[in-house]
Amino acid sequence: MIGDSLLAEADIEIGEHKTFTFLNMTFNADTIWSTVIAGLVVIGLGFWMRSKVSSTNPSKIQLMWEAVVGEVTRQVEENLGRVHPFVVPLAIALFVFILVANWFEIIPSLHLLPAPTADVNLTYALALLVIVGVHIFSVRERGLKGYVKHYFQPHPAMFLLNLIEELVKPVTLALRLFGNIFAGGIMIAIIGLLPIWALWGPNVIWRLFDMFIGLIQAFIFALLTVIYFGMASEGHSAADDERKPATDPQPQLSKGH
Amino acid sequence: MPTTNLAESNFLVPNATFFAELFAFALVLLVLARYVIPPINKALTERQEGIRRQFDELETAKANAEAAENQYRSQLVEARHEAARIREEAREQGAQIVVEMREQAQAEASRITAAASAQMDAERQQVLAQLKSEVGTLATDLAGRIVGESLEDEARKRRTVDRFIAELDGHSIEVEQSGTSMRQR
Repeated sequence: MIGDSLLAEADIEIGEHKTFTFLNMTFNADTIWSTVIAGLVVIGLGFWMRSKVSSTNPSKIQLMWEAVVGEVTRQVEENLGRVHPFVVPLAIALFVFILVANWFEIIPSLHLLPAPTADVNLTYALALLVIVGVHIFSVRERGLKGYVKHYFQPHPAMFLLNLIEELVKPVTLALRLFGNIFAGGIMIAIIGLLPIWALWGPNVIWRLFDMFIGLIQAFIFALLTVIYFGMASEGHSAADDERKPATDPQPQLSKGH
Repeated sequence: MPTTNLAESNFLVPNATFFAELFAFALVLLVLARYVIPPINKALTERQEGIRRQFDELETAKANAEAAENQYRSQLVEARHEAARIREEAREQGAQIVVEMREQAQAEASRITAAASAQMDAERQQVLAQLKSEVGTLATDLAGRIVGESLEDEARKRRTVDRFIAELDGHSIEVEQSGTSMRQR
């Protein structure tokens, strides 16, 4: 296999993490610590903005935050019909955190600071948080009866498809993000195999493109979160519409590439 | 060997890192939701409110300016009308004064004329009366001097006057008689 031999030659580690064990459980040390740094960066940006917040003379950092908050609020309003006090902060936190984490990919750090989003542990965690939130929200909005009933809409025979759809949602959410960022990292590693005189061009171009992918993926994750919440609050008759957004992300995804 | 490594730990299978990530993101979410997003929303709302207020103030100022301009224009028109009215009034008053003065002058003139003629009448009457009273005395004086006899005593004076009057009467009869005879001839 060409791929294997190439990887073997270059000694590229794929899905390899520096691990440690604690209470008989394996932890990926590099993912955890780059997550901590990403979290600190996000919180640091937040508090930096907070220290300079002004309603009359906004600083650049404040305008950046305002753009994110404004956009997410608009999306939530469009999809949910109102601004839900829980969905807006969740989507904002997801977008900013994923964006910062994705851009770690661009920083050349000799594998010391890998993008934590290139590890399924992070993306599964985020997806699970979102989907659990969506289902709780759905039960609250429709009542338990309405929630169960929506699996049998528009016809009881659709139950299996509906169930699969709901089960697939978190998996696609997690693996889409993981796959994009992970692939970006592999691309950088493969470009690194080029001879030194040909390396810089593709390297710069790919890193710029990777920044774009990172932005798009963070946006898609946050947008899908909002859309799933929007679907969860829809009425019983809106079962047909519920399937549309599930297919919508694919064109958006292909746009990103 | 890399191949065995890939087979041993599939990178799609999560490990305990999952829980650490869950906790980490939950913490980030909590901090953002509690400490970062509220001030942004507050600032956004305040700024929108400020902009709305500024627009309101602008509208009010514009309305005020328009009202002031309208008032100014209407006052100007009013002032022009007032000026025209005053001019017209002054002209009328002037004409009236001229008419009045003329009437007054004419009345004065006629009054003066009337007064003068009345005075003249009175004087004439007075002169006439005086003349009448004096003519008799003068006549007797003159007659006495011509006759040479004093008519000073009352009886004689009366006699003379009576005779004079009788002569006058007789003379006038004669004249009438001669006049008729002259016409008969």
